[in-house]
Amino acid sequence: MKSHTIASAGWRFTRNRSGWTKRLLPLTLIVLASPMCLVAQQEAPAVDADKQTIQMLLQRIEKLEARVSQLEGTPGATAKPQTVSAVAQEVPRLLQAPAASPAEEPAASTRAQAQASDPEQEMEHLEPERMDMSKTLLRIRGFGDINFRGSNQEGGTNSFALGQLNLFVTSDISEKFKFLGEIVFESGPDNFYNVPGGKRNEFAVDVERYLVQYSYNDYFNLAAGRYHTAIGFYNTAYHHSTWFQTTTGRPLLFEFEDSGGILPIHNVGLSASGRIPSGALGLHYVAEIGNGRQSRSPLSEEPVQNEVDENNFKAVNFALFARPDSIRGLQIGFSGYHDKLMPLSSPRIDETILAAHAVYMVPKFEWLNEVVLVRHAPDGSSEVFNTPGFYTQIAKRFGSYQPYFRYQYINASDREPIFPHVGRMDGPSLGLRYDASESVALKVQYDYNLARHQQNYSGLNLQLGFTF
Amino acid sequence: MRRLLGILTIVAAAVLLQEASPGSAARGASAPPAVPDDTLAIIVNQSNTIDDLSLKELRTVFLGERSHWPNGRRITLVMMDPGMSERKAVLRDVCHMNETEFSRHFLQGLFTGEVFVSPKTLSTSVGVRKFVFNVPGAIGYLRASDVDGTVKVIKVNGHRPDEAEYPLRIELRAAK
Repeated sequence: MKSHTIASAGWRFTRNRSGWTKRLLPLTLIVLASPMCLVAQQEAPAVDADKQTIQMLLQRIEKLEARVSQLEGTPGATAKPQTVSAVAQEVPRLLQAPAASPAEEPAASTRAQAQASDPEQEMEHLEPERMDMSKTLLRIRGFGDINFRGSNQEGGTNSFALGQLNLFVTSDISEKFKFLGEIVFESGPDNFYNVPGGKRNEFAVDVERYLVQYSYNDYFNLAAGRYHTAIGFYNTAYHHSTWFQTTTGRPLLFEFEDSGGILPIHNVGLSASGRIPSGALGLHYVAEIGNGRQSRSPLSEEPVQNEVDENNFKAVNFALFARPDSIRGLQIGFSGYHDKLMPLSSPRIDETILAAHAVYMVPKFEWLNEVVLVRHAPDGSSEVFNTPGFYTQIAKRFGSYQPYFRYQYINASDREPIFPHVGRMDGPSLGLRYDASESVALKVQYDYNLARHQQNYSGLNLQLGFTF
Repeated sequence: MRRLLGILTIVAAAVLLQEASPGSAARGASAPPAVPDDTLAIIVNQSNTIDDLSLKELRTVFLGERSHWPNGRRITLVMMDPGMSERKAVLRDVCHMNETEFSRHFLQGLFTGEVFVSPKTLSTSVGVRKFVFNVPGAIGYLRASDVDGTVKVIKVNGHRPDEAEYPLRIELRAAK
């Protein structure tokens, strides 16, 4: 419009002037008209972009219609109201995107074409949290280990041994809900509180974790199901994967219930966790309530009370730990656990488990330190049974190699009412982990075991741990 | 007089041409200065109210230690394929990890349940831009020259990508 006005003025100007101006007039008009041409040319990509945007919207409408039809199982008319509604939600979002500058418009058009060219992926992005019944939502990661071990313990033989085959299953149910499970296939006899039982060489299946998690925000997450009790650090850091662990096995203190462990490693109930607003201190909490462990001694059944609690008292656990910003990799924390146990033919027992840990873990170095005190106080008796235990483990990585050392100790009374056969066990372990690839680790570990009422013995374990 | 008129005409025409030329609007007074091509921009969805993150905060986000934005929406992390220079820059300058350590960190985080969702991995800048445009809680990164108006660029440590103090670069440090 501006150019038009100037051109008109120029025309009036030339009417009253001599011949040179007449010769200049066509040139001037050409020069002045060129911007108009440029403006017109400039508008062409904009129109193209609008067309492409409309085209993209139409494609989205088609996709949404197809989607609604698919979900409802009926094509056509019934889907239309929802389609319109969905499109009405999408159109403002598209229009809210800032308009590209004139210089960017051709590129924006190309991008619009690119965005419209992958409709299925785009639909997935538009509605990332809606459950699609036609798709499987499960993700499975596997962990396993195969061992060759031997010892000079009386009655022991050198054997190849299959470790746990662990299928770690997760599923995003919705934006806030998630499923998490560990299904473990394992061979070998049970060992409840150092009392072997069950059959050898047979595989059994255990659902070791079975959780539905609700994540409200960083400060509050709630999980329901079977979980690993937040006692100390190790139990919730490695779960049933030997590949994650630096060593070939767990510390005695954190052995599983069916492998001679003395702690209620698993629990069934509710677990809340999250951050605590604490700035650079990085405080976190875990609060749990569950069935606790079975205590009818001697144990011959699954010690984790998956479906029936032997009493109405619930086990509660509270853990607090800090991950300070200033020392990345450091975690310091403690936990307190309480339950009431009801062994057969003996009075009710108050169980309290106190744990503290200081762990420093960075990719090339780790130092784990944990101490636990298991306190059993039978009702009507002044006698209290304290079972202390600790371990320290240090490892340094040199490329693919990671030598490590661990010392561990447990000392239970011979009159301990729940696990009288544990006694005192301690000893050092020395080993080397070699990461043959990102997913495969070879480990060799030597253990020297000292135990009360038993002969000292040494053991050697070669392990191939892997994830798949 | 003739010469003066001729000069004036040419000047007027030049001014008009300049006004009508493509890209002139972008070169206006409010246009941002040119951003070096080695700059790595952190991008979020346009609806995200976050404008600025420190490198420390960015690290907690990119390591999955923070799972929600202040508005309660879940954070969805978008990473580019392993080996891409943009990803290398993020691993080096934000996560302080190599590829193996990063993979293991996320695998272990998912395994323990501390990390709620694994990162979405995409192979192209167009894909990243598209994803962040479409997912309100998404955060990703792009070479600054690949950014357009469909996504929002946030400051890092209080600096915009066009500022000299901006901490995230791709090739220069990668070449060291």
